[in-house]
Amino acid sequence: MLKVVFLRVLPVLMAISMAVSAYAADPNKVIRDVFPAAETGFDPAASNDLYSGTIGQAIFDTLYSYDYLARPAKLTPLAAETLPQITDNGKTYTIKLRKGIMFAPDPAFGGKKRELVAEDVVYSLKRLADPKLRSPWVFLVEGKFVGLDEEIAAAKQGGKFDYDKKLPGLEVVDKYTLRLRLKDTDYNLPYVLAHEPTAIVAREVIEKYGESDGRAMANPVGSGPYRLAQWVRGSKIVLEANPEYRGFTWDFTSKDPADQKMIAQMKGKKMPQVGRVEISIIEEDQARWLAFQNRELDIMNMEGPLAPQALADGKLKPELAAKGIRLDRIVDPEISYVYWNLTDPIVGGLSKEKVALRRAMAMSYNVAQDIKVIRNGQAVEAAYPIPPGVVGHVPDWKSSIKYDPASANALLDKFGYKKGPDGFRTQPDGKPLVVTLFSRPDSLGRQQDELWKASLDAIGVKMDVHKDKFAELLKMEKKCQVMSRPAAWIADYPDGDNFMQLLYGPNTGASNGGCAKIPEYDALYARTARMPPGPERDKLYQDMTRIAEAYAPWRLTISRYRNQLLQPRVEGYKKHPILRAQWQYLDVAPNPK
Amino acid sequence: MAAYIIRRLWQMAPTMLGVVLLVFLLFNWVGGDPAYVLAGKISNQEQIDNIRRQLGVDQPYYVQLWIFVKQILTADFGASWSTNESVSHILMTRLGPSLTVLIPLLILVTIIAVGLALAVAYVRGSLTDRMVMIVCTVGLSISILVYIIVFQYVFAYKLGWFPVQGWGNDFWENLIKYASLPILIGLTVSIAPNLRLYRTFVLDEINQDYVRTARAKGVGENRIMWIHVLRNASIPIITNLMAELPGLLLGSFLIERFFSIPGIGREVILAVERSDFPVIKAITVYVAFATIITNLLADLMYKAVDPRVQLK
Repeated sequence: MLKVVFLRVLPVLMAISMAVSAYAADPNKVIRDVFPAAETGFDPAASNDLYSGTIGQAIFDTLYSYDYLARPAKLTPLAAETLPQITDNGKTYTIKLRKGIMFAPDPAFGGKKRELVAEDVVYSLKRLADPKLRSPWVFLVEGKFVGLDEEIAAAKQGGKFDYDKKLPGLEVVDKYTLRLRLKDTDYNLPYVLAHEPTAIVAREVIEKYGESDGRAMANPVGSGPYRLAQWVRGSKIVLEANPEYRGFTWDFTSKDPADQKMIAQMKGKKMPQVGRVEISIIEEDQARWLAFQNRELDIMNMEGPLAPQALADGKLKPELAAKGIRLDRIVDPEISYVYWNLTDPIVGGLSKEKVALRRAMAMSYNVAQDIKVIRNGQAVEAAYPIPPGVVGHVPDWKSSIKYDPASANALLDKFGYKKGPDGFRTQPDGKPLVVTLFSRPDSLGRQQDELWKASLDAIGVKMDVHKDKFAELLKMEKKCQVMSRPAAWIADYPDGDNFMQLLYGPNTGASNGGCAKIPEYDALYARTARMPPGPERDKLYQDMTRIAEAYAPWRLTISRYRNQLLQPRVEGYKKHPILRAQWQYLDVAPNPK
Repeated sequence: MAAYIIRRLWQMAPTMLGVVLLVFLLFNWVGGDPAYVLAGKISNQEQIDNIRRQLGVDQPYYVQLWIFVKQILTADFGASWSTNESVSHILMTRLGPSLTVLIPLLILVTIIAVGLALAVAYVRGSLTDRMVMIVCTVGLSISILVYIIVFQYVFAYKLGWFPVQGWGNDFWENLIKYASLPILIGLTVSIAPNLRLYRTFVLDEINQDYVRTARAKGVGENRIMWIHVLRNASIPIITNLMAELPGLLLGSFLIERFFSIPGIGREVILAVERSDFPVIKAITVYVAFATIITNLLADLMYKAVDPRVQLK
């Protein structure tokens, strides 16, 4: 009898232990990657550089993430069990967590295993709002959740944020369920919850390792696939597989023929396969390139200036392909543009004369030349404000702003911008016309200055250049003191809203660097902000794009290619437009050179 | 001697004060406001003001200056504005890699440059002397950047004699494997100017009467050069060496950057790029302090080398 009971119970016990036991990656499988710039630290609420965020994606879990192969990027649950239940016209989100997600072992947990629970999610979101932390990501939560702004104000008054106070907007329903209540409809919240600043941390870890300002930059403890094993600041980061990580099975699908070989290679594998990730920080292009060719690196991004070393006409050079090196290339989800300050007395305003001036300057710029000379061919023209790979992108958009210096000259002639004896035009009222381009004192800035100078000379508009450090340019920009500046924006999340908000009037002083205030545009944007993604919203985005082309607050220029080179031993790699840490999706030959 | 040392240390105060004022004024004038970068992509004025308040840069200048002075007196420059790492930890951890490259480099450059200077000065005017000077002139004309790029490409990548870049965890591995090529480049760059300089110092001594007298008395050439001439030429050599010592605290910007050595030079570049004033302040003050101390040590060494020197 006992034997029968035992034999019936044993499989159940084994199944339970397998369900909660962690998966162990192969420590002999090592990937060597490289960053071209130094990290700052690994507190998701505090660090705001790309590379720290990449490490954060590997160490921490967010509620949501993205399907590895789906394009455009598609949200999938990560720490959450499913996509959120959205009610109340997009104002209430009910989220259930997966059970059994464990944080990596750490002394902060007192020797016990620590499960990720709903309280951790609420705590992590509150940290973004804590004024003492001075999080650069506070905009993700401020003004969003019911009750949070009041708590922020109280913290500023009293000097301390009350993490224990229950807020209606960040409710812990039970151990694995939370309910988020928004002040206003926002269908982009899941994207925010997939963004690494909202990564989930444990309060005990922050309280143990946090500095006086509440930041814990040096001791990241997450529930993600990796944990920090070694860190030589600004030089080397070594991640090892988190022994408590739950693992997943590589079962992504894709209809793209180019993905089928990879799918066949990877399908069914228990991930992560790679047990160790070694990331070197190598700022200099030559050193990076030589290290890759010397097989000291497995993955490397070939940035614009380096690209001609490895690529010819967008393809890998034969001698590199012969060594088994592969190229994975996507258009980054970003746009570059030059804006004109709409509050500036010379180039700003919505009068016909000012609009004509801006449209003429936009038409004078040769984007093809920009791509060829400045970007070494490693970019595509950005005709639409939402780049490829981002929801809302229109691939065959025909912009009404084209390179046409003849038409630009005719437009300026028509609206009274007469040429003086020096060949440069004056304003319609006879006052001097000088357009100042504000730019950074680096090689890219100089090249952009030269191309813009040549463009504006061709239409008789005098240009001068103001050089300043990036921080100073930002300072002036926020005060609407910059007349014109080249700028760029990369997607925080793969939704068109992240790009269309760049021209939204109320975002002046924040992301609207050109201080644009176009009433028709703003009215449409306010409508789209309450709409879920779909054809109806896309139609409004297209109308907004035409409005922007008409008023020309900016000249869209390019979106850059991201060229990832891979050694032959790397398997399973497809560059994701949003996910930067992809090591948990890869496999490698076990012993690097 | 003790009175001299105390007087010199006392004289440090106005010099350091001058350095402090200069650094403070320069940074506030051209250093840039870090709050705008630290505030992130989407920030409003309130958030920026909050950051400025937390960093202390919203205080009146005289308050900030007083805080700076207190930091020097307590040797506590706080934490990096961008990484939150304590400045003293930054200096302690980055100095090691820099010194691993620079101390062997300084020793080798001195020994080789002094030895070669004595040798070519001895055969002054000969074909050997002229060839060496031509090579030195050509070597001096080439930028260190060219040496770094060419040596890294040829010796590390093409020949595979050294790693292209990197730094390990073990001192001997770093010294022998990773620092070798940077030291070789440093030698190539530094020997030429030092050799020319030391040759000049030696030539000044070779033509002195005491050398002619020693030869007339039958003293061997080796003893004349290595004992008598070198000792008398050593005062300007010591001056040159001591002037180079504070540079050890600054590291070698280019070499560390190209070879990914986590040294102080690389940290300085990062701090400047990020307008990280606490780090810049600390390094500037320490280098100024080291310069003053090495100048004092140089004076003391003159006395040791040449008893005729009077310290007043």
